[in-house]
Amino acid sequence: MNAQKKYGMSIDVDRCTGCGSCMVACAVENNIPPAHAGANDRNGLTWIRVYKVDNGEDYPGKRSAFIPVLCQQCGEHTPCASVCPQQAVDVDPRTGIVGQMPERCLGCRYCMAACPYHARYFNWWDPRWPAGMEKTLNPDVAPRMRGVVEKCNFCHGRWHAAKQKAAAAGKSEIEPGDYVPACVEACPTGAIRFGDLNDPSNDLRHPDSFRLLKKLGTDPKIYYRSKRDWVRNVAQASRPVSSQKEASHG
Amino acid sequence: MTTTRRDIFKFAGGSALGALLTPAPWRLITDTALWSENWPGIPRPARGEIRAKFTHCSLCPAGCAVRARCVGEQPVSLAGVRGGLCPFGVTGHQLPYHPARLRQGPVSEAMAAVADAIAKCGPGERVAVLDLRPGRTASWTARRAMAVLKNGWYIAPVQSPVAVDLTKARTVLSLSAPLLERWGTPANVFAVRDGFRLIQADPVESRTAALADLWLPIRPGSEEALALGLAGQLTSAETAAMTGLSEHQIESVGQTIGFGRLSLVIDRAMSPAVVALNVKLGGWGRTIVPRAEAPVPPEWKKAAPVTDLATVPDRSIRVLLIDESAPGEYLPWDAIEKKLAAGNPLVVVFAWSANGYGRYAKYVLPTPVYPEATDDIPPAIDSPAPCFRIAAPLLAAPAGVVTPSEFIASLAGLPPADALRERARAIHQGGRGTLVTYADAKSVPVKEVKPDDFWKALNAGGCWVGQALPPANFRAPVGQALPPANPSQGLVVLATPPAPSPASPLFTKLYQESDLLLAPNCIALHPQDAARCGVSAGNRATLETPNGKWSVRILTDSSVRPGVVLAARPEMASASGKVVRV
Repeated sequence: MNAQKKYGMSIDVDRCTGCGSCMVACAVENNIPPAHAGANDRNGLTWIRVYKVDNGEDYPGKRSAFIPVLCQQCGEHTPCASVCPQQAVDVDPRTGIVGQMPERCLGCRYCMAACPYHARYFNWWDPRWPAGMEKTLNPDVAPRMRGVVEKCNFCHGRWHAAKQKAAAAGKSEIEPGDYVPACVEACPTGAIRFGDLNDPSNDLRHPDSFRLLKKLGTDPKIYYRSKRDWVRNVAQASRPVSSQKEASHG
Repeated sequence: MTTTRRDIFKFAGGSALGALLTPAPWRLITDTALWSENWPGIPRPARGEIRAKFTHCSLCPAGCAVRARCVGEQPVSLAGVRGGLCPFGVTGHQLPYHPARLRQGPVSEAMAAVADAIAKCGPGERVAVLDLRPGRTASWTARRAMAVLKNGWYIAPVQSPVAVDLTKARTVLSLSAPLLERWGTPANVFAVRDGFRLIQADPVESRTAALADLWLPIRPGSEEALALGLAGQLTSAETAAMTGLSEHQIESVGQTIGFGRLSLVIDRAMSPAVVALNVKLGGWGRTIVPRAEAPVPPEWKKAAPVTDLATVPDRSIRVLLIDESAPGEYLPWDAIEKKLAAGNPLVVVFAWSANGYGRYAKYVLPTPVYPEATDDIPPAIDSPAPCFRIAAPLLAAPAGVVTPSEFIASLAGLPPADALRERARAIHQGGRGTLVTYADAKSVPVKEVKPDDFWKALNAGGCWVGQALPPANFRAPVGQALPPANPSQGLVVLATPPAPSPASPLFTKLYQESDLLLAPNCIALHPQDAARCGVSAGNRATLETPNGKWSVRILTDSSVRPGVVLAARPEMASASGKVVRV
């Protein structure tokens, strides 16, 4: 019997430069198409999205930070799973990963309304790539159709590949280094780390870390770190606010 | 027993009711998307054998080692070998399919036109190659070709004579250098980031400033004044007046980076004033060292010298060949144009898209793009040791593209020899340094490797690393400080750190579906400045500078210094600009 895993992440906000590598690596890995001409920050597909937040002051007192926000893989009362009428969302007891099955999704978007982290995205358009670029699609992940909801699943295709590799080697457990989500692999600063939260040898759940909207009691598996108090306060707001977009949309 | 029509109806009705008690119809309803998810409009990923290939990214001077995951021969994802990759590197394998990619061009027509123009060059008129990324083997080929032509010139952006060693630094003072963004090699910088205190002097709260231990918001264009002030060539009061910092701040920084404290001062290009300051701080041979280059064959030493564009006489270039195939430093077109001969100069640009200098050229010739191009990447500015690494192609280049160095070599009648292999042979004959191979994570002394194996390893993503030059053999460079720039009138337009352009279409995730990056058609300015210019967030406006006019969309951001406009395109940068609402 395999030991149950509880995969989670640690994101060091004080190391994130907001370069966007995680966002594009996620899109490459999960066959997420480039933005449709009509897409914007409210209807786009970004399974992981880096928000620029600030301390609310004016230049030169203004200080900014970048907070990558992805599906928080809620462990308790998973809001999206509890509202889905199609059973298209489930929590894998072997890994703790909240999975999304686009084949079952009806496109009602109840899950999007229920998600307190705004980490679910609706596929408003058919997936389209510039001519020839479809050759670069990842064979381990099927492109999704228009009309379904998508979200981060910790690169489930990589988990399956790691399982197959372990099985081929006659092992029942996957090696930790064999399963690393694309955003973790791409991060040039090492700000994002990934592992089994049940494994006491890693310090993903550092005592100084915090979680987004912890007060909701959803037991997210994404732990953030920052030495800056104002960053920790912003993380408890209902949605990270970007100064530019806030201004753009009035 | 006879079957009546009534029995058939009863059976059909009973079957329908019974089926409702089975899972089948409910499953079919639940998995509704099964009916439509594989329609012809949805692309299907290719299947095939999965394999890993290694190469180096040539999209910027960092030259990160890359592991490519390929389906058959097609790369489907790229990852860093020694850490992560920047977003440009992660999406590099998509560039060959970029909608702006050039695939065909008038190669033979351009060749004839160039040969004709060279033959008709008047006295004092020149044929020049402008290489935006010097130091490559292709650059050496261009230099050799220009040496053969009697009126040939090889022009390139000025390269700093020094490299920095971040591993030795305990304090780094960055004068607007994007140290944590696109300056140096990300793997090197972040491997030692916890080992030094970072002070960022920057007019805007850049990404590096946001993560620095201390941010000094200086006036735009006053970086050199701060360097001179810290070097003691300006008084604290003068420096404070020019930079906008307080005298106390300047003196405090001066004490922090004092002599012999293993401090390193950097700016974007390691300008002479900054080099002089480092020498004065005792950094020569420690935090800054002579910049080393991989050996070249002895016969290449007769190549044309590197000429700075600023020293070229105005109106002297009849034929200009611009090699834009490898992204490099941006030089304003105005500065180039005034060097062209009056009356019908011939400008040929080698590029994989027409978005750059191709707008001004008579001929734009398509080139291979990373990861199709075979090129080498010179040592980055944070590489104290010489190295030789090849961006081995992961894909075959399409028919119709031309390699700039081959085109230029043919003009001069140089044999179409494999220059990269010649250089690898010279390095191997030197017998020094080690060969690092990523596939097996081994490091072997070069003298233990056979020449053919050495060449094969380099083409399989290996890297030759030499030994750093002993600084004792070199005289420390003497900085010739320029007078600080005058305070600007109007709005100063600053560009974000230069980046390969155009980037993958997936970058729309970063500036269209989120606001992480500034879009190429957007500018950001402080809300006060926006109000003063009569514009507000979301408005269309025209940005007017001495370099030109651009239609832009306005973003307001209170982290931008008042009086400064932040733009994504380097050609927009200017000491004075104006924003006019459309």
